[in-house]
Amino acid sequence: MFDPNSPDLTRPTQALPRDGPDMPAFIRRHRSFFALLVVVAAQILLLSLQITRNNHVRLIRYWAVEAFDPFERSLGGLMDVASTAYRTYRNLWHAEQENQELHIQLVAAQAQIQRLSEQAGETQRLRTLLDFKNQLTFQTVAAEVIASSPAYSPGENSNAIFIDKGSDSGLTTDLAIITPEGVVGKILAIFPHSAQVLLITDPSSGVGVTLAQSRVQGILKGGSNSLCDLRYVMNEEVVSRGEAVVTSGLDQVYPKSLPVGTVANVGEGNIYKTITVRPSVDLNRLEMVLVVLKPAAAEQQALNLPLRSH
Amino acid sequence: MPATTHRPVAVFQVHPAILSIAVLGALLLQTFLPLKLPLARLMDFPLLVCIYFALMRRDKVFGITLGTGLGLLQDALSHGYIGIFGIAKAIVGYLAASASTRFELESLVARTVLTGVFVLAHNLCLAVLQHVLLEAPPPFQPAAAASSVLVNVALGLILFQILDRFRRPA
Repeated sequence: MFDPNSPDLTRPTQALPRDGPDMPAFIRRHRSFFALLVVVAAQILLLSLQITRNNHVRLIRYWAVEAFDPFERSLGGLMDVASTAYRTYRNLWHAEQENQELHIQLVAAQAQIQRLSEQAGETQRLRTLLDFKNQLTFQTVAAEVIASSPAYSPGENSNAIFIDKGSDSGLTTDLAIITPEGVVGKILAIFPHSAQVLLITDPSSGVGVTLAQSRVQGILKGGSNSLCDLRYVMNEEVVSRGEAVVTSGLDQVYPKSLPVGTVANVGEGNIYKTITVRPSVDLNRLEMVLVVLKPAAAEQQALNLPLRSH
Repeated sequence: MPATTHRPVAVFQVHPAILSIAVLGALLLQTFLPLKLPLARLMDFPLLVCIYFALMRRDKVFGITLGTGLGLLQDALSHGYIGIFGIAKAIVGYLAASASTRFELESLVARTVLTGVFVLAHNLCLAVLQHVLLEAPPPFQPAAAASSVLVNVALGLILFQILDRFRRPA
């Protein structure tokens, strides 16, 4: 018969052997639960060795693959990212290097293009000048405009320029300076290696001219605003705007029938007309000019320069 | 009604031969009886033996060990995978041993309720394990599960009375 007061019942249950001093108290307190977990895990492992999935793949292998698959994918993805980043960085670095090299080459190419363009332009101008020179019946020598004399008033265009030919080239004063477009001026002062040229727009210059249509003669003097004034044309003469003005040759400086300009404006004066002439040459953009040699100067030029084969 | 108690609990034990006979007898009945009695397919003799001895010994480790052993033997005698019954009965053995220290087990009501709870827990464990582990688990049949609980509770009450005759205080 069961006796609740039996001293055997008051005896506490036999204490389990004490665990090692290293076992945490939590595990010691729930030892039976952890034992259950171990037993259940062992049997699950046993089951995983038996059960197959997906065409006879053992469950344990299936779990192992599924468990490691995310890590493998992550690692693979990380490697891909790192590889892509490194490859991108290297490509960008190479692209930067190539960009710099190409930029340098571009700058050099642009400079060369500019230089070649300038050379082409100069070549064309020289060819034009040469063609013009060959058409002339008088001898000329080409010269380059190297400087302009400073104007007296700020902002005003200079009425005198310097060319790179002087007395050593056989030049003298009062030689006419022309271009294919027309008359430029005459040599005002001569130096050993250069010469000062007075432009036709200077008030102190004077060119004997003739109107191409009416054949009226007059004297062209420098005016204002880079224009010239045609003087000593009677009011009775008929002069129309746009009429061409050419050299008359009467001043013994400029050869005859060289273009000078066009009539810009015509007005009535007291006795003479007030005629404004616009020069045919753009005197602000002179680069290459021709110096018309007089017979004596031509002879001197021929003696100084080396003989040319014909 | 079962009630928690903090007074010293009674611990019983049986002769090892009785335990062995009970285990073997449960396994034999489980394998033989369903051939003759269709109702026996709902019975689980090893489970009832596990519940009884775990409640009696009030030792969780013993309950786990007994449940695992009975379950593995039952798996070995079945055509299924070894380990499913072992896991389920190990859990039941642990739960039964845990409950034994909290409830008055001499009451018939307590035994009935606890047995029903453990049988239900055992069936749920089996269903979960099959659903998780097997590629094509069998469908869960609530009616069969409820019937199993009732049948095993009734059988347990009878079996427990028989086994009570062989126990002695520890």
